[in-house]
Amino acid sequence: MADTILTVDHLVKSFRIHQQKSTSLKQLIAGKGRNRFDDFIAVNDVTFDVREGEVFGIIGQNGSGKSTLLKCMAGILQPNSGRVVVFRRMGALLELGAGFHPELSGRENVFLNAAILGMGRKEITARFDEIVDFSGLRAFIDQPVKTYSSGMYVRLAFAVAINVDPQLLIVDEILAVGDVSFQRRCLEKFVEFRNEGRTIVLVTHDLGSVKSLCDRAIWLEHGKTVDAGDPGDLVEAYTERMLGAEAPAADGSVRRGSGEIKIVQIEMFVNGGATAVKRCRTNDDVVIRLHYEAEKTIPQPVVGIEIEILGGATVTAPNTRDVGLVPATMSGAGVIEIALANISLVPGTYDIHTSITDFNRALVYDNLHEALRFDVMTGKPYETGGVVTMRPAWKLD
Amino acid sequence: MSLRRAIAHRNLLYLLSLKELRTRYKKSVLGWAWSLFNPLSQMLIFTVIFTYVFVAQPIPGDPSGLKNFPLYFLSGLLPWNFFSITTSVAMANVQSGSGLIKKVSFPHEHLVFSVLIAQFVTLLIETAILTIALLIVGQNVLKWLPVVLLIYSLWALFTAGVALALSAFNVFFHDVSYLWTILSQILFYMTPVIYFTVGLPDVLVGRILKTAANWGPTGGFIVAFHNLFYDGHMPAARLLLYLALLAITSFTIGMWIFGRLSPRFAEEM
Repeated sequence: MADTILTVDHLVKSFRIHQQKSTSLKQLIAGKGRNRFDDFIAVNDVTFDVREGEVFGIIGQNGSGKSTLLKCMAGILQPNSGRVVVFRRMGALLELGAGFHPELSGRENVFLNAAILGMGRKEITARFDEIVDFSGLRAFIDQPVKTYSSGMYVRLAFAVAINVDPQLLIVDEILAVGDVSFQRRCLEKFVEFRNEGRTIVLVTHDLGSVKSLCDRAIWLEHGKTVDAGDPGDLVEAYTERMLGAEAPAADGSVRRGSGEIKIVQIEMFVNGGATAVKRCRTNDDVVIRLHYEAEKTIPQPVVGIEIEILGGATVTAPNTRDVGLVPATMSGAGVIEIALANISLVPGTYDIHTSITDFNRALVYDNLHEALRFDVMTGKPYETGGVVTMRPAWKLD
Repeated sequence: MSLRRAIAHRNLLYLLSLKELRTRYKKSVLGWAWSLFNPLSQMLIFTVIFTYVFVAQPIPGDPSGLKNFPLYFLSGLLPWNFFSITTSVAMANVQSGSGLIKKVSFPHEHLVFSVLIAQFVTLLIETAILTIALLIVGQNVLKWLPVVLLIYSLWALFTAGVALALSAFNVFFHDVSYLWTILSQILFYMTPVIYFTVGLPDVLVGRILKTAANWGPTGGFIVAFHNLFYDGHMPAARLLLYLALLAITSFTIGMWIFGRLSPRFAEEM
């Protein structure tokens, strides 16, 4: 087993939340103000080891204590109790370009920034060309950085940061900078780092990169460790918890149409279950049941549903006309069932819109926008990207 | 411990000091000449006021026999400005370094030391000009320059201690910088920069002022500089001993306070 390169041992970090933020000598002398505070525990008794050569991920919601933990690891914040032991040279990239001075030239800032990140003078001189080449800014290197565009600024900052050459790199959400081609180069550099056997601790919201890059991961919630171990399992459990934790949105449905016939209720059943649910898994057998009521007899109505990913594109929009199932008339009350066997949706939140129109789809009797919102949880197959799974069959030689 | 870490990051200190020097007069036409105009204009003002408004005779330097207001002022004013500018700029520099402090782990002392070094370079340049002026009026200060450098170093050590303590407190209470504006004014007049201690009236206030001027923390240093530049003699041995003690005490206390408080900077800012 590889050597431990970083140990976080029963780390606790709390912050004092002052009732009044303003601090002045008057308050201190009066003996008030400074005493009125609450303790907010940001990191609560977290323990883990990072081994040499692995990529270690930290996941958790906003406010779960990831950044505080990282700052303690980087030595920016002092823990209240517990300790962080680092056995090798560490580089922490919490923000790119921290300490860049707008009036100084790119060259001067490279030297200054590299020194801030802990490099010696000889080292910087030796790596200077590499840094400039990586940034692709050789033509501008003697211009003051205030003349740089924000993209150029970030490129130069990343070029410095990635060349600090640490044995242990701590990264906070910085892989998502710059344009697409630069992002790719960053990712390549990152993989190169990993392949060279260096250790990386990565905090990101991009669960896909946690699964693909990390060897192990830890999941934080409210400053506590929920689970640690294999990133695949952890990400699955995490997405499940995150989607499940969110209460179904309040009924935000909007109805349009002339109203002679209406969908009065929509229900979802999973795998032959008898109770209506708002949640399924990829590959479940799903049945959507629409209850309608008509005030009068409607000739040749066309019933349709539309499934849309939350805030995104329409996934599918089947209707009865397309399959040649338009009744001559419809009246009174009744139920329409749509069975979706082995549903192909990947984990996420989806909305169902319903509609009843005349045969030409010109006259809208009823259109219920966001009739039902439901969550799809992890099932088989599991895919993180896209909207639907095509159930790919992989073959690797 | 923190001093060792500060030394390990000496490259950062070098570059931060360079940044201080390089950015100071960016975008100004006269550039570095401005650092000379400030003491020169102050000297001119004091000379006019003491020669024509509060009519006073300059007391001749002993044993140099030099009788010159402007040069007397300048020899105390240059080190004084170094002290007063370093302390106030260091406080501002630590405060404006919050972006860095919150994002990167580095010895925060360097935000103070870089200001100190940049101001010390300025002081040396200004002293070169003063030396030339003194040589022109026939005062041979060249032989005293090594001693000047020694006391300058003690003065820098003393200034560093004060700047460190003030900057650290200022992170927690911004009142410190406002309070210091007033206190340094008081300290300025308790230091014999623009008057001769010999000329002080022999009444209670005069006697208090005289004691403060000769033996106050800043007064002692200024007296030593007058001895070397204006009077042209070696400062008394017990004065030198006193100054060394002051410098070491101030620096030790300043480092201790800064070292105790700086781990909490990131969350207080």
